[in-house]
Amino acid sequence: MNDKTIIDVFVDGAKKGWNMGVNNIIPNVLMAYVCILILQVTGLLTLLGNLFTPVMAIFGLPGQSVMVLFSAMMSMGGAVGVAHGLYTNGILNGTHITILIPAIYLLGSKIQYFGRLLGTVGIPAKYYPGLLAISVINAAAAMLLMRLIA
Amino acid sequence: MNKTETQYQPQPNSSVPVSGYIVLVLAILIFSGIFASSKGWITVFDFDTLNGKFGTMKDAAKATFVGAGGIGAKDGFMFALSLVPGVMLALGIIEVVEHLGGLKAAQKLLSPILRPILGIPGITGVALISSLQSTDAGAGMTRALYENGQLTDKERLIFSAFQFTAGGTVTNYLSSGSALFAFLTVPTMWPLVVLFVMKIFGANIMRFYLYTVDRRNAANER
Repeated sequence: MNDKTIIDVFVDGAKKGWNMGVNNIIPNVLMAYVCILILQVTGLLTLLGNLFTPVMAIFGLPGQSVMVLFSAMMSMGGAVGVAHGLYTNGILNGTHITILIPAIYLLGSKIQYFGRLLGTVGIPAKYYPGLLAISVINAAAAMLLMRLIA
Repeated sequence: MNKTETQYQPQPNSSVPVSGYIVLVLAILIFSGIFASSKGWITVFDFDTLNGKFGTMKDAAKATFVGAGGIGAKDGFMFALSLVPGVMLALGIIEVVEHLGGLKAAQKLLSPILRPILGIPGITGVALISSLQSTDAGAGMTRALYENGQLTDKERLIFSAFQFTAGGTVTNYLSSGSALFAFLTVPTMWPLVVLFVMKIFGANIMRFYLYTVDRRNAANER
């Protein structure tokens, strides 16, 4: 281990970054962009936006931003893609992104983490709903907190 | 879906699930391009619509290779590709910090405060720091600590609550999050601070629950 130079170590880390990009971020973001497109073309995005307007207004966000939170549950990279897409479409602005960003990670990849984290650690399944609820509470609290400083 | 697959595989000739015929028809519609010139919602069944288009160089002075005005899979691909250098740089730096002992230093500073702020023993410091880098590393170490008897049932639950919300915090925030940093109205550090505060808060919700509502299970503690 110790005969590695700092440059070797950096390059090893950069390789991990490349693998994460190719195997995780690119496929997930591509999926997120196609999902937004489907929601846009079918008009579901506007519909969902209208439906969630009252809830999201609590956090100072437009209704469509709920899509960022839904996609975060599946993949953090995907949610970032959705947020970026909604920003480019002029639906979200900088303040909205600032409010949303901690929530993306607090809710992030829940579906995967049931197996990858809770399954690995061996947490009894009866605690899963509680742990999920904690994440949702955390995300809501973080959005209220960010609203104050954004 | 999985259920139909397992039923289907042993006798491939006899039972094709109905969903198989439905997706086949959809796939043929999507790839055939018959909706290419249609308008409205029906175009979601057109491959070219889903594939989208690349952005273009509208303003040469400001444009990056991602371009502006792209949509669909092509735009998603270019955007995701633009994230990769940041992810590689961030993970390269984290790797160097780890190699030079930066994470050990963090663990040393952290150990004495874990009991008061999270109600878990100082020995979890390494697992905690690792969990901030990689969810899977944190999960593996937590399991090992529990199996070695270094964590009680309650402590394991509190520690899992900490890891479950914003898993792989530092790596994930600095990698994919970097795509949104340019839009933030606050310094990049603030959302990260909020993440840590909320992780500690979440773990304490579990701690509170376990030591009040769930007290009946106290007898099971080892």
